[in-house]
Amino acid sequence: MICRAKHSPVFWLFLSPVLLAFVLVIVVPFFMGAYFSFTDWSSSAANQGGLNYVGVVNYQKSLVDPKFLTSFIVTSVYTVTNMLAVNVVAFGLALLVSSQIKGRNIYRAGFFIPNLIGGLVLGFVWQFIFNKAVPYLGPLLGLPALANPDNFLLNITTFGNSFAIGGLLSLVIVGTWQSAGYIMMIYLAAIQSVPVELHEAAQIDGAGPGLRLWKITVPMVAQAFTVTTFLTLINSFKQYDVNVSLTQGGPSVMINDQAVAGTQLLAKNIYDTAFTGTNNMAQGQARSVIFFFVLVIISIVQVTVSKKREVEL
Amino acid sequence: MKKVAFVLLALSLAAGSFGQAKITLLQNKVEIDKQMKAYAATWGKANNVEVTIITSGGDNGDMAGMMKADYAAGELPDIFVIDGPDAYSQWANVILDQGSEKWVAQTSVAYKSPEGKVVGFPVAVEGWGMAYNADILKAAGVDPLKLTNLAAYKAAFAKIDSQKEKLGLKSVVSMAASTGMGWVTAHHNVNSYLSNGLKFGDKSVAMMALDGKVDAKRLADYADWVELLFNYADKTVLTTGTYDDQVGAFMTGKAAFLHQGNWVDPNYVSAKATFKAAYAPHGSSSAVTDGVFVNPPAWYVINKDSKNVAAAKKYLNDMVFTEAGQKYMVVEAGMIPAFKNIKLQPTGPLSRSIQDWAAKGKIYSWNQYLLPESFRNDTLAPLYNQWALGQIDKAKFISLFTAAVATLKK
Repeated sequence: MICRAKHSPVFWLFLSPVLLAFVLVIVVPFFMGAYFSFTDWSSSAANQGGLNYVGVVNYQKSLVDPKFLTSFIVTSVYTVTNMLAVNVVAFGLALLVSSQIKGRNIYRAGFFIPNLIGGLVLGFVWQFIFNKAVPYLGPLLGLPALANPDNFLLNITTFGNSFAIGGLLSLVIVGTWQSAGYIMMIYLAAIQSVPVELHEAAQIDGAGPGLRLWKITVPMVAQAFTVTTFLTLINSFKQYDVNVSLTQGGPSVMINDQAVAGTQLLAKNIYDTAFTGTNNMAQGQARSVIFFFVLVIISIVQVTVSKKREVEL
Repeated sequence: MKKVAFVLLALSLAAGSFGQAKITLLQNKVEIDKQMKAYAATWGKANNVEVTIITSGGDNGDMAGMMKADYAAGELPDIFVIDGPDAYSQWANVILDQGSEKWVAQTSVAYKSPEGKVVGFPVAVEGWGMAYNADILKAAGVDPLKLTNLAAYKAAFAKIDSQKEKLGLKSVVSMAASTGMGWVTAHHNVNSYLSNGLKFGDKSVAMMALDGKVDAKRLADYADWVELLFNYADKTVLTTGTYDDQVGAFMTGKAAFLHQGNWVDPNYVSAKATFKAAYAPHGSSSAVTDGVFVNPPAWYVINKDSKNVAAAKKYLNDMVFTEAGQKYMVVEAGMIPAFKNIKLQPTGPLSRSIQDWAAKGKIYSWNQYLLPESFRNDTLAPLYNQWALGQIDKAKFISLFTAAVATLKK
């Protein structure tokens, strides 16, 4: 039985600044935004003097807008791919850094540094690499086809020009480069907390490194998997600054005989709806609410499933 | 005694900063940001006003979004810019009537509201046509004065293209159509369809579009023109080039023509270019056209709810009537003045060319702002990009353009 001590006033005093910030910056705007999504809110002077209740019109319009649905699909594909890439790379890096390799401390710091660079800068740097450096180096390394603009990663599309696979791959590459170091740290902590006795016992019983990895390390870091899957899922879904700086919405694709931006992730779609061109902040807000509920449902499902696989020592 | 003096000093400093008026100006011309801030600092000192300049523009700038956020925070700047009817309708309720200002009499391109009130101070006069490198054209044996219609351009482009190596060119024309540069195609180039060859102020084609209809003959000619531009452009710059790539290609002599306006003059200076450059009309029509697209790119409007309307008004008036203001507008920022009383001339070759065309009265309107911005950004820009990437051909472009315009009908 766990004994719960009564929280003293000092406890609440220390907690209050963070609690206040959380309520003011996250809770209050969330409910205000949800309220605005049922009106014809526009943050320009055009609507001065009146906020009219319009019911679920904004939600209806969003759910039938082909651009919103396309963004949803593109974001989902990006999220799944990015989650896989980041976790595989990060786990691999964590294994590398936790082994006895020379210079592992330098590697540890080095792999983490991209995470410190802002997404916008990363996007511009990699845009330069994809559009200028690769076409220049390609011919020098014996691959002249790389200098053809049709082969630039950011221009490649598939499925009859309806899916910007190149743009998505480039977003995954940059997203992985950005997040792998951070996720690696989490895996590293988990790997290092696996008791050495388990490994020694397995070695005595004749288990090779591969078997030890699969049967001991992986189950013991399952708790870390829950955390990292959750983090990468949420961060991939919310990706914005790399999207804006790397692809600007990417090459156009043709869907249902309409030309649309090919790599417009959800966050960019919401931002563009609310701020650029049409003054549709209420609809942008409605999309944000939809976005929130989708994320909540997916995260709850993911965490529940992951928790079942955890092993407590 | 010392303590009292200290307190008095602190109080007077505080009072001084409370007493000093403050105005904020928001604009989107990134290329003159430095010059603007320098002028504002000098003017501010001379008039005891603290002027803050905020610039938001360029490839990833988003002034419209910034204004909406500022308004929601109750911090809409005292002076900001609007670029046309779409922007005006969003902010009409907070824009001050400037009809009684001194500068109104000196310009013919002030922004007028639909009810006829003068509300906008023209930032400058700007324009574009097809910028050409006169030295390269001379070496190629092409006479720029004969570039007046589609057929002439077809012949000229072919001629220059055949001499590409001799002239040191990578491509005949420097054109950009990536998603980030959608404003070059869907804002500027589409204006050739909307107003090339029409009398200044003629909005008929744009009005037709807003009614869901296209002028088929005009569109066919226009599509031929876009095809010409895309075919003779450097494919890399066309599909992935940034603003600097596109302008840089022209300024370093790698392209003979450039599809940009006279606002690129600062790039001419920084590239240390020495070639003669000027504008020729766009060749989007089979009939001869003799003019370039000239208009103020934006107008300064004053926030009705500003706490310092008088200071804001003085700031604008001083730009027109003081020597320092005129020098800033024309010489330092390199803009063509929109006011009769200013006799100075900008130094850049492309700005002088525009001023030349404007002085002769050979100008066509900017009608692109009559089309909604979301239509231009979300519907037209990807369409041009598809053609630039080679995913659709001219016939498909024409049919999709027609279908897109049909959706404008409410």
